[in-house]
Amino acid sequence: MKKKARFDQDHKWGYLMVAPTIIGLLVLNVYPFINTIVLSFSSTKVFGGYEFVGLKNYIKMFSDAEFWRATWNTILFCILTVPLGVLLALVIAILLNAKIKGKTAFRAIFFLPMVVAPAAVAMVWKWMFNSEYGIINTIFHLNVNWITNPNIVIITVAIVAIWSALGYDAVLLLSGIQNISKSYYEAASLDGCTKLQQFRYITLPMVSPTLFVVLIMRLMASLKVYDLLYMMVGEGNPALSKAQSLIYLFYRESFISGNRGYASAIVIWTVLIIGVVTAIQFVGQKKWVNYEV
Amino acid sequence: MNKWVKRGFAVSLAGVMALGLAACGSSSNGSSDKGHLVFQIWDQGQKAGMEAMAKAYMEKNPDVTIEVQATGWDEYWTKLEAAATSNSMPDIFWMHSNQIYKYADNGILADCSEIVDEKNYSEIAVENAKGSDGKIYGVPKDKDIIVLLYNKELFDAAGIAYPDENWTWDDMESASAEIYDKTGKYGYMAYSHDQLGYWNFVYQNGGRILNEDGTEAAYTEPATADAIKHYVGIQDNDWCPTQEQFANTGASEMFFSGEGAMYLAGNYELVNLCTTYTDMNGKWDVAMLPKCPDPAEGEGRASISNSVSYATAAEGKNKELAMKFLEFLASEEGQKIQGESGAAIPAYNGLEDTWVQTFADQGYELTLQNVVDMFDYSVKYVNNPSRSAWEPKVEQTMLDIYGGNVTVDEGIQKMQDIVTEAIADN
Repeated sequence: MKKKARFDQDHKWGYLMVAPTIIGLLVLNVYPFINTIVLSFSSTKVFGGYEFVGLKNYIKMFSDAEFWRATWNTILFCILTVPLGVLLALVIAILLNAKIKGKTAFRAIFFLPMVVAPAAVAMVWKWMFNSEYGIINTIFHLNVNWITNPNIVIITVAIVAIWSALGYDAVLLLSGIQNISKSYYEAASLDGCTKLQQFRYITLPMVSPTLFVVLIMRLMASLKVYDLLYMMVGEGNPALSKAQSLIYLFYRESFISGNRGYASAIVIWTVLIIGVVTAIQFVGQKKWVNYEV
Repeated sequence: MNKWVKRGFAVSLAGVMALGLAACGSSSNGSSDKGHLVFQIWDQGQKAGMEAMAKAYMEKNPDVTIEVQATGWDEYWTKLEAAATSNSMPDIFWMHSNQIYKYADNGILADCSEIVDEKNYSEIAVENAKGSDGKIYGVPKDKDIIVLLYNKELFDAAGIAYPDENWTWDDMESASAEIYDKTGKYGYMAYSHDQLGYWNFVYQNGGRILNEDGTEAAYTEPATADAIKHYVGIQDNDWCPTQEQFANTGASEMFFSGEGAMYLAGNYELVNLCTTYTDMNGKWDVAMLPKCPDPAEGEGRASISNSVSYATAAEGKNKELAMKFLEFLASEEGQKIQGESGAAIPAYNGLEDTWVQTFADQGYELTLQNVVDMFDYSVKYVNNPSRSAWEPKVEQTMLDIYGGNVTVDEGIQKMQDIVTEAIADN
């Protein structure tokens, strides 16, 4: 009897302690998400006016060429940024782990882009990519329309995206690498392993859980790309209609045109894509992520 | 659990709750003459002018304090929309004609018909403050107009006379060609824009974008279509940068770095341009928009005019107090203070000179009478309740025309269809 009361007491306090997080999650994540699903089946405008329209938004969406273009742009952006970005971050993490002078300074330098506001990043890069006066075309003697050629603009934005995320990913991976016990490397070098073999058979498997987290995070962020596009491509750019991402389309429909219902359908589609991609990752990770340390 | 820990937890929880309550308490002020008003605007450049008006009002009404808050344009509308949904709007705020139908037609704005005497203000400014029902939902604040900016040095270098009131499209284009030949710099820079671009040409040619009451699209009417074709065609000249170039470097950046001789800007940009490019003072000037030499209808003159209004929420907590301040903003006295700040031309009739004078006082050499004179034939900013639905798509279609994805004729038909569909859906 006494024991049960004690158990209840503990439970009560347990719930109370997690309540702020749970309430936050329910109010800020779960409720809006459910609400978005409901909205996606309606023709809601900015200030309400909820009217159930069934699948109309989805039918309109799936028959819209602009929407498919945006979907492809978003996926293309992921293909361009995620593998290369994560690979570069891993290389940099390994380099930053080396025993060199001014290691801390290098780490700080690589982390800096993360501290700069995305809007400022976009502004500066936009000037560097300026086709007439930009430093990139000038130095390399190129004549590329970096931000107005519809076939190139996604690559341009991808370069900037990789650059700005590199430092953060590298620092995460670096902490993963530093957690690996030195004794493995000592044992391996006694056995005559080369540095490359050490990387392949020690570093990579041991850092794979961190690598997995970085990969998932980068994928989700890339699928939600919006701010860089908004800042770098912007209105009045002839390439805009060819370079829109899903979230950009959502922004335009929701906040400029005020079609909350249709915009919600776009978001739900984006969530589905992210869900599927993440699910594939979680299934695939069993093959390469090593949790046994 | 230790009882001290529990007690500490309870105390801090109570503290948090008390803070929350205190925060709630401070925002409601009742309806007495005493109170604190929040005045929200989207232009940092006009903050001083708004504060000058608030100060003048506070001197007369010592029990009222008014706080002016300025944010960026995008953030402003996101915030205002959220505030409107949760009925926590600022006490006084600016309303743009792009947005007024959305707010007015949803019953969010207070009816200001009683404090606005229509005959005192620019007709266009009053029209821009009306909702779909024809009632006035804001106090007309200002009126703006589109002007031609030209670089005197490039005109001098090419040895041609500055634009005057007799200038036509042809004069502008031949001057552009001459400047390009002699100096290698661009002439008139025609970038893809409605208000600052083809709309002016359409109305100069006697065309229109919408019919009288905004219920039908008019893109395919010959006068409209011809003007759009002409405007788009300007880009084919060597002396006009391409839309790709404009996307890289804006027309105003090219202009003020001496790379281009002319472009269209809103008069509301002039203060900022003067203060940003101080070393260019005296090297550029403003002129009337060139007229259409052979309009399908009318005199060939037009310039798009838009305006901003001051508004308050229909259900605002301090509505009574806010209305009294709005009354002051509507008065000749209040509007004059605004004009003297130089940011905008007051909507109140006959106060144009207060705005013109500020530039002279600060030593900026611009012929602003040209701006004021254009109000004689100004055309109201194209607007209807479904504008927010069609505007981004029409803009994109214009870019598709420029990009060669569609022909001009196909594009014009497409814009017609987009607007027609948006009106039907609304």
